[in-house]
Amino acid sequence: MKENVKKKKGRDWLFSYLWSAPSLLLIGLIVVFPILYTAYISLTNMSVYHWFDYSIIGLSNYARALFVFDSGFLGALLATILWTAVNMVIQLVLAFVLASLLNIQKLRLRKLYKTLLMFPWAMPGYVSILLWKTGMFNTQFGLLNQWMEKLGHQAVRWLSSDVSAFICCTVVNIWLALPFMLMIMDGAMQSIDKSYYESATLDGATWLERTRYITVPSIRPIIAPAVIITVFTTFKQFDVIYLLTQQMGAKTGSGLHTILTYAYENAFITNNYGYSSAISIIIFVLLILFSIRYQSPEEGSA
Amino acid sequence: MSRKKLREGLGLTALNLLFILICFVTLIPILYALSVSLNASNRLLSSDFSFIPKSFTLDNYLAVFTGEDILTWLKNSIFLAGATVALSLLVAIPAAYCFSRRRFPGRRLILRWLVLLNSFPAILSMFAVYRLLRPLGLINHRLGLLIIYTGTMAVFSLWNMKGYFDTIPVDIEEAAQIDGAGPVQVVTKIVLPLARPSIIVTALMVLIYVWNEYIYATTFMTGEENYTLAAGLYALQATEMSGSWPVFAAAAITVSVPVLIIFFLCQKYMTSGLTAGGVKG
Repeated sequence: MKENVKKKKGRDWLFSYLWSAPSLLLIGLIVVFPILYTAYISLTNMSVYHWFDYSIIGLSNYARALFVFDSGFLGALLATILWTAVNMVIQLVLAFVLASLLNIQKLRLRKLYKTLLMFPWAMPGYVSILLWKTGMFNTQFGLLNQWMEKLGHQAVRWLSSDVSAFICCTVVNIWLALPFMLMIMDGAMQSIDKSYYESATLDGATWLERTRYITVPSIRPIIAPAVIITVFTTFKQFDVIYLLTQQMGAKTGSGLHTILTYAYENAFITNNYGYSSAISIIIFVLLILFSIRYQSPEEGSA
Repeated sequence: MSRKKLREGLGLTALNLLFILICFVTLIPILYALSVSLNASNRLLSSDFSFIPKSFTLDNYLAVFTGEDILTWLKNSIFLAGATVALSLLVAIPAAYCFSRRRFPGRRLILRWLVLLNSFPAILSMFAVYRLLRPLGLINHRLGLLIIYTGTMAVFSLWNMKGYFDTIPVDIEEAAQIDGAGPVQVVTKIVLPLARPSIIVTALMVLIYVWNEYIYATTFMTGEENYTLAAGLYALQATEMSGSWPVFAAAAITVSVPVLIIFFLCQKYMTSGLTAGGVKG
């Protein structure tokens, strides 16, 4: 009897793996294999000059990235951290203010406004970025320069210097990311029990006090996972910076790099595969450390 | 009393005006593209530009559909998106069900590691994936992209649906089993209908991902006739059409409309299907 149960259990888990096999196989090919292969290449000097006859050179790619200051990696890393911080702060503040305004009781057209504000999220991302690039920032027919001209100023090359490219990329990124954050905040605020506010108002609490002692503590646990996800996507943002400033053959002259565009450029423009792989692995380690630090406790018990 | 009402009314009007302004500012890039694509007299450099075109034309849209290979690209996109969604659901549903309902050695370890491994940016995998697919003859082949897209979205699909399956009470399934339903019947007749929101959202996310992906699509496929819409549009703006911005605007609007329709049709599923599974884990 006992033997039978054991046998059945053994068959059971084989069965589970069998049904999961196609999914796990695909993940193995497209997710796991590239990481292992990249880790291997990062130890070699593979590049255009050493396409087949590459050899293992140990950790010197890592040393170049981390200890040679003009390699560009540390600069890109700093820019990426700054980029993530700036974007997150502006996004959270804007989303909070807009969601608070949307939740004012007597606003009747709330639904219409919400739908209109969802458009940047619903549009295909690359299309929006290209529309911004050509429609807004283009030196000849971009809307911004048309307005500048109307005001009697000279046309500005918005994407050509580091600082102004950073600002432009931030504007576009916030435009793209705000709807999601707004929706999350709005949902969180609607879940707060209205009677808290009523009794607080009766006690004479000001709007600021109500926000500080009721709204913020109530929504914090609800929005936390979404905020962490957004930190990841902002840190890993590639499309905005790449499409706006450094498409092949259409570089705008800004030297702005995040670590992702930096790794991409080293792999596909200067074809320095070994070095680029080392950077990829460093990025991966950073992401893993960050996600272990902020992993929600529930996930551990799943 | 009436003074208080008046003040409230004024405040509300100000708030509404503020929101109208915010919505307008938000929509400027889209409205501008729409207006340029419909404008017959394209003197864009003239200073009397307004958001409402003075004379309408559909010429730019006509140019999009006749002048370029856009119908071929549309066909490629639809085929690839459909195939990827079908394959994703086909492989992810049984896996998600097993990981949600059954207990087997390695289960927790795999679940935990999949999330960590999935944080590796897909764009950095491109070189390795190229080296993997080339010996298999899958470069410049739709099957190659199908495998890449399904694999890239596989962890998300698995986790998202597993999370939703977790919220469905096991009692229902046990009751059905007592009534004599086999394991396959339990899944197809009971679990899948209950899990509809998460299946829809998963399919939607995969669809939107494939529809919008341009880097793999341009790097792994050569020859314009093999491009997807995203790849084609990207190539267009990178090369010839940078001079013809009205036609590009028309193409951009055309490509976006299906995505907009799908997004707003399925918006009500977005919250329930995503938060129940993905976020809570």
